[in-house]
Amino acid sequence: MASPVSVYNSNSLDSHISSVSRDSLKMEPLTDVSLLPGEDGVIEKEVIYICPFNGPVKGKVLITNYRLYFRSSDADLMVTLDVPLGAISRVEKMGGASSRGENSYGLDITCKDMRNLRFALKQEGHSRRDIFDLLFRLAFPLSHNLHLFAYVTQEKYEENGWNVYKAMDELRRQGLPNNKWRITFINKSYELCDTYPTVLAVPYKCKEEDLRRVAAFRSRARIPVLSWIHRENQAVIVRCSQPLVGMSGKRNKDDERYLEMIREANDTPKLTIFDARPSVNAVANKATGGGYEGDEYQNAELVFLDIQNIHVMRESLKKLKDIVYPNVEESHWLSSLESTHWLEHIKLVLSGAIQVADKVSTGNSVVVHCSDGWDRTAQLTSLAMLMLDSHYRTLRGFEVLIEKEWISFGHKFASRIGHGDKNHADQDRSPIFVQFIDCVWQMTKQFPTAFEFNERLLLTILDNLYSCRFGTFLYNCESARDQHELRIKTVSLWSLVNSKTDIYLNPFYTPEPNMVLCPVASMRHLELWVSYYIRWNPRIRQQQSPVEQRYKELLALRDEYLKKLEELQLSDSSPAPRVAHNSSTSNTSSSNSSTPSTHCTHLQTPF
Amino acid sequence: MEHIRLPKVEHVKLLDRVSPKKSRVGTLYLTATHSIFVESEDGVRNETWVLHSLVCGVEKQASASGVSLVLHCKNFQLLQFVIPEEKDLQDILLSLQRLSQPESLEELYCFAYKPNVAAEERQREWDFVDLRSEYKRMGLPNAHWKLSPVNQNYEVSDTYPSELFVPESATPPVIAGSSKFRSRGRFPTLSYYNKDNHAAVCRSSQPLSGFSARCLEDEQMLGAVLRSNPRSDVLYVVDTRPKLNAIANRAAGKGYENEDNYSNIKFQFQGIENIHVMRNSQQKMLEVCELRTPSVSDFLLGLEGSGWLKHIKAVLDAAVFIAKAVSEEGVSVLVHCSDGWDRTSQVCSVSSVLLDPHYRTLKGFMVLIEKDWISFGHKFTHRCNHLLGDPKEVSPIIDQFLECVWQLTEQFPCAFEFNERFLITIHHHIYSCQFGNFIGNNERDRQQLEIEKRTHSLWSYLWSNRAEFINPLYRPNHSQTQGVLRPSTAPYCFNFWRGLYNRFDRGVHPRQSVEDCLRTIREETEQLEDQLSSHKQKISKLEERKWSVSVNIFDKSPTAWIFAPDLRLANTPQDYTSCVLTSSPRPAGGSPVLTPHDLNLTTSFNGSDQESGVADLSAPSPFSEESARDSDEAANSAA
Repeated sequence: MASPVSVYNSNSLDSHISSVSRDSLKMEPLTDVSLLPGEDGVIEKEVIYICPFNGPVKGKVLITNYRLYFRSSDADLMVTLDVPLGAISRVEKMGGASSRGENSYGLDITCKDMRNLRFALKQEGHSRRDIFDLLFRLAFPLSHNLHLFAYVTQEKYEENGWNVYKAMDELRRQGLPNNKWRITFINKSYELCDTYPTVLAVPYKCKEEDLRRVAAFRSRARIPVLSWIHRENQAVIVRCSQPLVGMSGKRNKDDERYLEMIREANDTPKLTIFDARPSVNAVANKATGGGYEGDEYQNAELVFLDIQNIHVMRESLKKLKDIVYPNVEESHWLSSLESTHWLEHIKLVLSGAIQVADKVSTGNSVVVHCSDGWDRTAQLTSLAMLMLDSHYRTLRGFEVLIEKEWISFGHKFASRIGHGDKNHADQDRSPIFVQFIDCVWQMTKQFPTAFEFNERLLLTILDNLYSCRFGTFLYNCESARDQHELRIKTVSLWSLVNSKTDIYLNPFYTPEPNMVLCPVASMRHLELWVSYYIRWNPRIRQQQSPVEQRYKELLALRDEYLKKLEELQLSDSSPAPRVAHNSSTSNTSSSNSSTPSTHCTHLQTPF
Repeated sequence: MEHIRLPKVEHVKLLDRVSPKKSRVGTLYLTATHSIFVESEDGVRNETWVLHSLVCGVEKQASASGVSLVLHCKNFQLLQFVIPEEKDLQDILLSLQRLSQPESLEELYCFAYKPNVAAEERQREWDFVDLRSEYKRMGLPNAHWKLSPVNQNYEVSDTYPSELFVPESATPPVIAGSSKFRSRGRFPTLSYYNKDNHAAVCRSSQPLSGFSARCLEDEQMLGAVLRSNPRSDVLYVVDTRPKLNAIANRAAGKGYENEDNYSNIKFQFQGIENIHVMRNSQQKMLEVCELRTPSVSDFLLGLEGSGWLKHIKAVLDAAVFIAKAVSEEGVSVLVHCSDGWDRTSQVCSVSSVLLDPHYRTLKGFMVLIEKDWISFGHKFTHRCNHLLGDPKEVSPIIDQFLECVWQLTEQFPCAFEFNERFLITIHHHIYSCQFGNFIGNNERDRQQLEIEKRTHSLWSYLWSNRAEFINPLYRPNHSQTQGVLRPSTAPYCFNFWRGLYNRFDRGVHPRQSVEDCLRTIREETEQLEDQLSSHKQKISKLEERKWSVSVNIFDKSPTAWIFAPDLRLANTPQDYTSCVLTSSPRPAGGSPVLTPHDLNLTTSFNGSDQESGVADLSAPSPFSEESARDSDEAANSAA
């Protein structure tokens, strides 16, 4: 009954796929693929791509030390794939030499970016052995003592993205140091805390030895430090890890006094401590030596934000992938979506950040932590800062925000993403950063004019979160980056972005410097980010938003009019010469009787 | 008036559902047509008016702040009044129950609504949408289709319009015979004709085929429809019902076409559920909307459990099937359901929107509703619950149509000349009974009521306020505007229509809208354009003065006279732009022919002129006020 309809849909789908002229499609080597500096092709092979949308597609695959590139050889169906090897999480052999059935022998590739790829090869002569071995080595270089591609390539950009973020500059922009907060270099050689940056902002009254004693009472020595300060009311966002309370309910006077100092800095009546975890998890952490702040912390209130841990988030995204790739679950779409709980997690993270921002904007200082303070804490502080500080909503400000709250404060990108690592089932992997970007996207949907950057920037960031083409997201913390000379040997993603910013700019952006965004974390507003999670489905073809396009046109038109007006006004102020000039032309034209008539026909058409 | 037990109650509190702190105190008045709540604080006279005809439910509810009166409205507004005295509340409740459910059409608001408009002006209002010229626009009558007088006095089918198009070869006896074999005499007749390939969308009610009955005339009728499309040798018959329902109808002597009895037809079910399923589904969906703070699960599971979006998808799927048959295969389609006034109206009208860009314009959309809904007898009085009547006849069929169109506007933001507000306003007035358009169940009813003499038409009201309803993204020359729309009907493409169902919950709407941005920039552009042209006028006046001087200076030689009219022609704003904008003076002795550079400028200028053709609506933005308020709200919540 429904079949004619689905045929119709697939027709419209075909129309998306451009057909190319036949002669360009002979089995020629894929020489026209533009490679990056330092990128070398290693193997080319004829394969069949088992496209989940169009069925088996014959073509050629090219593997380089950076990417897997496939192009179909079929004239009617132009299919290309361009996948950075960094996006691959798993390569498996599919079928055996004796497998029956068409296209049953080949490779099965699982990607980190919400898709899987399947290639079938000829069954004779171990045809997949070389390609499998190469892929396995190149996709997981760190497991094979090879360098990540970011260390191989030598891309050149006009701008050096590593200069985007300087901790001191950013603190100065916030108005620090001041008489309540000072900058400490106690961690300059990562002695206090190996996962923290070198430059930290702490209460003015606090001495270095106090910091050391506090470090002893915080998980991984991640002591409470300032992330952001409100210019007017001096309320602060402080981040840290959980206190090491343990089963016996240990206390640490220094830690208590330290939090009191934070409270005193702007005379907040009650310091709010946001524990991002569900209270159950926080209690359970006591068994492993962690825990949360109890009643012994005077003048403080503790709020649990109920955000689940990295394992829950990983499973949630996995479920989401199951319902959107390759085929989108059709019969019970909304309940399937519900069962992934992805939007619920997004909602909790966003509403947590809203609570943080709300406290701070009403003049109350807050402390945010989870267990180690590098996953949920980073999400909450960075989103709250995005709501509070319009600077972070500019393109460069957003880069700073990511550099600061995520990269410098040791969100474990290497472990969470598993760059170059073959261990696809690693329990440390989790899409915490993806979730953050999703929350940012949700905010841009609710405030389309508040952000200087567009969706494309968010997509570019996520693509390069995996690609290993830039150094930006490599390693777990600053100390490891220093050790591997990351800033010297690799290029920053922001070099790419800042060298051609125009494609990442949101035309609707209207700067409103002191505006605090207060998004609604209600289900009536949250939606699935279809253009990211379902983008491989050909039905969701990325197109420039017509709204955006129209707006740009109108902007251009306005500028054109403005220019014309300006010129008119210029000439209006001195009309005499212009009129003279005009009549002089008519004088000269009177000598040539044929030209004026052509002149007129041009002019008449518009009327 | 006799129904108002208590015209005025003081110290009434109007509760705010989203933020209880914002509740307001004031006086509630009952008038013959409206309930009016006047806020009595701060000297600001803030009034909330609710038409009685929009009220679909009044109930007492015990709440924390006392017993309250809850008003459910057909436009999805929900008002909760706390009335201090129990007796007053009871009086208001009983009055409103009576006022909101009039017993006769004569009591409806449209007969009381008397704007100051002269009689001939009123007739012009009604003539604004004219179906005859719509059929003419389609290219009818022509060699294949003729206007049939058979239903002139509503004798063949009392629920059909008087003017119908039938195949050229359909003779009166064939029509009469076919109509006897169809529910309510609703024989196959034309709804939309595609003049490019002669394929047509026809509509009817179900055949009275029972288990084996046949009717020669009905078979001839379908044959005639098939023949009216000379390039096609097959006719699709689309039964929009689920197969089971159609089979069940057979037991009652109704049913569906047997492919063996009709030559060259292809029969197809579409599986759209009946009015009762739709009514329950909307009720469930509204329960989800009314949740104050739904959890993710409540919302998603509730929305899915209501089945609402699935039903919207079913209608759109059927329409897509028909649009594809007509536009791509060139095959004519006969659409029916049971009586052919609910699902059939939905499917015919949605497929017309997909097929013909004209129906995506303001005027075209009005014509479409006039044609497929009003004239073909969608039972507005019953379905919209205008009167006290059978609650089983009530169903949100027209809501679904408007929502299908809204879903399309989401997928094709540039394809529609009108905006969301237009759809919401139409929805509002379908239920408000302020205008005569949606009164009665069919054309005959409306003629008997003398609707055109006694009431006003929504269409001309909308047209005179069209500035509010223009989609700033629409351009007639955009690729999305032209041709057939091919929407995706994957479930994730259907969004919840917050703008309609949560229309009155201010807190849940986004505080920034891209549409506002577009509007602002367009207004800015238009202002600049005005400035520009006024400057140019000034210049051209200066110019003329100069010219008259120079004419005097010229001797009266013939060459000068020949040249003069040319130059007058050239004294147009464009001329001046191009002249003024040439940055460097033309080389002396050079020809005044436009240089390529000038040409570019003029053409681009013309282009923009055309663009603003959309924009005689440069009137102050209706949104500006609202957006100002919105930003206030954002500021408040931020503070």
